[in-house]
Parts: sequence; C-alpha cells; structure tokens
Amino acid sequence: MHPGTDAPATTGPWPGLTERVTSELAGSLNLRRTALRLLDLLRPAFADWVVLALPELRTGRLVLHGGAELTATTPVTARVDRERGLGHVLSSGRTDVLHVDEDAETGLEAMIPNAGLRAEAAALRPADVAGIPLTARGTTIGVLVLVRGTRRGFPAEDIAFAEKLAGRAALAIDSAQLYEDRTHVAAVLQAGLRPPVLPELPGARIAARIRSAAAHLDLSGDFYDVLGSGDDWLVVLGDVCGKGVEAAVLTGRTRQSIRTAAYFDRRPSQVLTALNTVLYEADASRFVAVVCVRLRPIGDGSSAVASVAVAGHPPPVIIRAGGTIEQIEAVGTVAGVLPDLAFREVDVRLHLGDTMLLFTDGIYEARGADDFYGMDRLVELLPGYAGAGPEPLCEAVEQDVCDYLGGRPHDDMALFAVTWGR
Amino acid sequence: MSAFDTADAVARFGRALVSVDTTAATGLVGELLEHGADPVVVLVEVIAAGQRAVGMHWQRGEWTVAREHAATGVSAAAVEVVAGYARRVPVSRGRVVVACAEREWHALPASLVGHALRAHGWEVTLLGASTPAARLSQYLHDLGPDATAVSCSVLGALPASRRFVEATTAAGIPVLAGGSGFGQDDRRALAIGATAWAPGAYAAVEAIAALPPVVPAAPPLPAAAVAEQAQLERAHPRLLAGLRAGWSFAASVLTGSPAVADSLESVVKDVLDQSLHAVWAALLTGDPRPIPETAAWVAELLAARGADPRLVDELGELLTSVLVDFPLSHALMTEAR
Repeated sequence: MHPGTDAPATTGPWPGLTERVTSELAGSLNLRRTALRLLDLLRPAFADWVVLALPELRTGRLVLHGGAELTATTPVTARVDRERGLGHVLSSGRTDVLHVDEDAETGLEAMIPNAGLRAEAAALRPADVAGIPLTARGTTIGVLVLVRGTRRGFPAEDIAFAEKLAGRAALAIDSAQLYEDRTHVAAVLQAGLRPPVLPELPGARIAARIRSAAAHLDLSGDFYDVLGSGDDWLVVLGDVCGKGVEAAVLTGRTRQSIRTAAYFDRRPSQVLTALNTVLYEADASRFVAVVCVRLRPIGDGSSAVASVAVAGHPPPVIIRAGGTIEQIEAVGTVAGVLPDLAFREVDVRLHLGDTMLLFTDGIYEARGADDFYGMDRLVELLPGYAGAGPEPLCEAVEQDVCDYLGGRPHDDMALFAVTWGR
Repeated sequence: MSAFDTADAVARFGRALVSVDTTAATGLVGELLEHGADPVVVLVEVIAAGQRAVGMHWQRGEWTVAREHAATGVSAAAVEVVAGYARRVPVSRGRVVVACAEREWHALPASLVGHALRAHGWEVTLLGASTPAARLSQYLHDLGPDATAVSCSVLGALPASRRFVEATTAAGIPVLAGGSGFGQDDRRALAIGATAWAPGAYAAVEAIAALPPVVPAAPPLPAAAVAEQAQLERAHPRLLAGLRAGWSFAASVLTGSPAVADSLESVVKDVLDQSLHAVWAALLTGDPRPIPETAAWVAELLAARGADPRLVDELGELLTSVLVDFPLSHALMTEAR
C-alpha cells in the first residue's frame, strides 16, 4: 500500500473489508448492534479472537464486547492501569502489539482485564495480541483487541490496515454512542408524555388507541386520560394544537392541569373552565380541544349517567346495544384562547352493552384518495359493532380509517371507547 | 404432553367465544395455568385453536365481522392472562421485537408468538398491528434487539413485510417470518429476505434460538417485479373499480353506498382486494401459489353464501384481462389458469 493514497476496494490482503466496515456499520445507530456487526466482520478471517473495549458514555464504566461468544458483554470490574495495555492504548491513542508465548504472562492481563476472556485468548497461544485505538472526532473512544494464534502474527501492513478499519468503525461507534445517549435523555423525558395505562373501571370496560402522525414517534398531540375512583370517573380525550414533540409537551401540561382541576371538582364543565383559565393565562396562542365525560352508575349499576362537556371538540357518539347510533348534541369553545369561558354539560344514559365512542378530528378528517373519511362513513360503520365491546370497536375504526387512508399521511388520531357493564 | 384435558379445554374455550364470555374464557385459562399447564401449550392448543374456529365461522358466512371481532376480544383477554404468567419467567435470553407490518391488522397471532417467546425467557417488545417501517426502525435503533419477528397473515401485507426485512437486516439483525401470508413452507419468507421462517408458535420459539447473531442486508428483490408491484399498488383503486364493474357478482350486489361490514358488498371488496394482493405476493416472492390459493378461498367464501361457483372462473378471466398492461402479472395470471 502506498502511504497517502486510498487503496482501491479490491486490492490488499482483505478485499472489500474497509468498505464493508464503512457501509454495514452505517446500517444501525444502536451501539450493541454496531459492535456485533464489527466483531462479525473481523472474525474469523482477520483475527481469531476479537474484543471491543468501550467505556460507556454515561457511566464511564469499561465494557468488553465479544470474545469467543460474539454476543457477550462483560463489564470490567478491576481498575484499568493507564500506563499499560488497554489503558495505555485508550489514554495515548497509540497501537500496542504484544507476543504471548506458550508459558510467559507477557502483559495479557493488562490488555484483557477479565479472567474468563483472558483464558479464551490464552488458549490460542502462542498468540499475538494487538490493541488498536478507536479514534473518532479527535477522541479515543475505545480499543479493538485482536488476537491471532498459531503463529499468524501481525505484519506491519496488517496493523496499518487494522488502524484504518478501526478509524472507520470508530466513527460509526461514536455516532451510535451519541445517539444512545440522546435516546436515553429523550426516553426519560418521553416517559411522562406517553398515553397512560388504562385502569380497571368497576362497572365498565374501556379501550383506547392513539396513532401518531409522526410514524416513528410514540408522541402525539392527541391524548386521553381516565381519572377518578369508586363510582365516579372522568374520561378525557383531547387534541392540542400542533404536532410532534412540541404538541406532546402541551398534552402533558394539559393532562396535568385536568388532573389537578378534577381533584377539586369532577364536573366536566368545571374541569374545562379551570383548564381554559390555566391555558389562557399561560399562553393565549396555545389552544386545546377536549371532550370530558363524567361517568356515574345509577341505582344497582345496570345503567350509568354520562355527563358530557366539550371544548371545541367533536362530541362522543353512542352505539346502543341494539345497534342504534346517537350523536350527542354538545358544543363549547376551544380551551385556551379566550378568558372566562363557561361550558355546558349534557347528561345521557348508558345502559348495559351501550358504548360511548370518543374520537379526535384526525379520524373523520383522514384524507383518502378523493375525500375526507367523514362522519357519515363512521356512523355507517358503527352499528355493526354494537355489543362487540370497546377494544374490537376501537380496532375496527382504526383499521377502517387506515384502510381508507391507503398509506397516505395523516394527522394524530385518538379513540376512546367505554362500554357500560362488565 | 399437556397436563390437562385439551379437548375439554378447547370445547369450553369455544363456548366462551360463542357466547362472548370474557369472564369464562379468562377464568378457564387462569385455571389451566394454576394447575401447571405450560403457557405456550395453552396459547397454541386452546386460544389459537379457538381463534382459528372463529375465522372459519366468518369464512362460512355464519358469523358477522362484529361477532368475529368480539370473539377476538375475548381471545385477546385470555392471551393477557397467559402473558401475566409468562412475565413471571425470568429473562434469560436476548431481546426480540415482534410486529405486524402495515395492512396487517391481525395482532393476535403476533402477540401469541410474543408471549410464547417471553415464556421461554426472551425479553419481548410487541409493536402490534399495522406498524409503519419507520416506527420499527426507530425501535431497532433504540433497543438493538437480537432478532425481529414479523407476523403476516394477509397477502396484502407482504410488500410492507419486505420493508420490515429491509429495515431489520440493514441493521444486521436477523428476522423471523411467520403467519399464513407466508404460506405452508419457507419459500415466500426466504424470497422476501427473511433469515428464517416458522409455521407456528412452537416452531418460532425454536427458530429464534437458532438465528445467527448478525446477518447481511437482504439483497434487493428483482427490480422488474418490484417496479410492477409498486405500479399495481398505485393502480389499485382503478383496478378495483374495473373488477367491480366487470364482475357479474359485484354488479348484482352493487349499492353505491359505502361498504358496511357484512354486506355482500363488503365481501365483494374483500374478494377483489385479496385477488389483487395475491398477484402482488406472487410478483414479490416469485411464488405463483398465492393466486390459486386465493381462488380456492374465494370459491369457499362464495359457496358459503350460496353463489354460483362459476363466478370464480369469471373473476379469474376478468383479472387476467384487467392486468393486460402489467406484463409480469398478466403472465402469472395466464399461467395460473
């Protein structure tokens, strides 16, 4: 190989390997998968035994990936000496090669700081061990420990080649580490914004669905919540302005405001009034459409009264056990843009087997080949699911709307169904 | 091998599905597990068996779609009981992501396989029905699983399943394919680039353990077939309209209003969708069998609804003629006849 020039892909002792390291490691942003891929590419052709030593970004703890078992990960418990072996390659960013004889100990302990892995490597002796630094973006982020047994040795050109490979691999590993670190931050923040796990209601069955507009995110501007206890529950479904992460943060605030308001007064009209005031005072340009339903059993629990109030949101639809559909006449202004709003409640009765379906505008405004999905289509679909229960109903609506979309992009979509009776 | 009377359990579970009795179904499953039944055996021999019967009831025109969905809801609740038991098994293996690709709405088989794997010590992430490939990809980056399992029961979901295979193998992750959409052997699964195929939950448990830790990116599918399948997908509404207008059975039930579940109109839509999807599947996998298999399914569906059996041949001829501008598909249809 000529210094200063890139050898063509097909020349050299390991044809195409550099290119494969570059292209295949680009396929995953997951650290573990990237490490596995690198180990798989190097073993057994380039080296008989390989370990990837990577300090974890968050904890600083050194982890050894690979060995005889490709998928193994081994944390290093002993202190790593910065002056010798692995520690030296990490701190100096310089390659270190050592020869391990039949009987001599020659520094293997410093290069492989784990007894089990060291025994695997020692079984190959007489062997040669190379510690190649993984340096990316100016920092040595890890060490590639390669072992060749049976007197294969590491000629200088192979060391140079390994350093070049390590340079390519280090970029992919560094990216995966940064991604993992950011993912951790996002996951912790996101945990509080996820749709809640639904509680068991004593007198009713409930189900909910959210399909996010951003296909890869579990975050949306549509939300639902169920709060209460005993025989007094509040079901909330809503849609905040905007999409994606910004909208999801607003749904988090909205859900919290509703929970706090409902702690003092569970009447839907009062919950919405409080929400409106809080949102208006925080930022009058942000608005939220919400439907609130308070559920309380009547008498022996064979029926319930549902008090419904809406703020700029489509009212729920009732699918009676016998298949008739009733649209609840409830109206109210969207919350957050005007001060001092009052909301009106409408009371309806739910009998055994009746289902109340709450849905956001992403459902009927889903745009298919030529038109919106529309309320008519929804109302035609529902009678067939009378008595089917909340989960099958939500599933059927979601499926019908998605079929109608035919793969086109859509807004956030949320569904919530309550069927009275266990 | 089961520690319980399977025939009796199946009969009781079947009765619970018929009467949409969630309490009876979950009670039965809980009872079996309390008496030491293997969770996977309960999933496969009792719940999956009951669910297959539900599908047959619809196919024979005995059950409405809503009734089928309601029974499926009962099965799903029963699966949750098993899942609770499976979660008690300590995680001793790697992680698997189990998902259905877009157009696949039958989430139950996937969740069944997921819980079977969980019962065998795998950590399982279930992504559920009709998952976009971008969402799967995000999970693969975030979790770095040892394998992906893709469940496909309808032929129309095969193109999206291929996108799952691409997303998965691009990250070096092996992918296990299963479900009736892949047919009775591994040909279609391997054709779309899956690492392995499993015909059921037991086989999936074995196959997952035997997958290699790293796989190369799946090679591209034949370009001409991929291009033509994409054209068919774009032309689907037009082709559907052509079939609807030309097939005498469709004309006889045409109402012009949206297809309400269980109407003959909706059965016609299912039949026409499936027939075109069979051509997609044959194109992408190089396996012509989806075409005669779908014809047989249509024949059963029509027979159960008292329609003239010759209508199936008429549909075949019509399909061949509307696909005249799609050379590969046209050839497939001509060969199939």
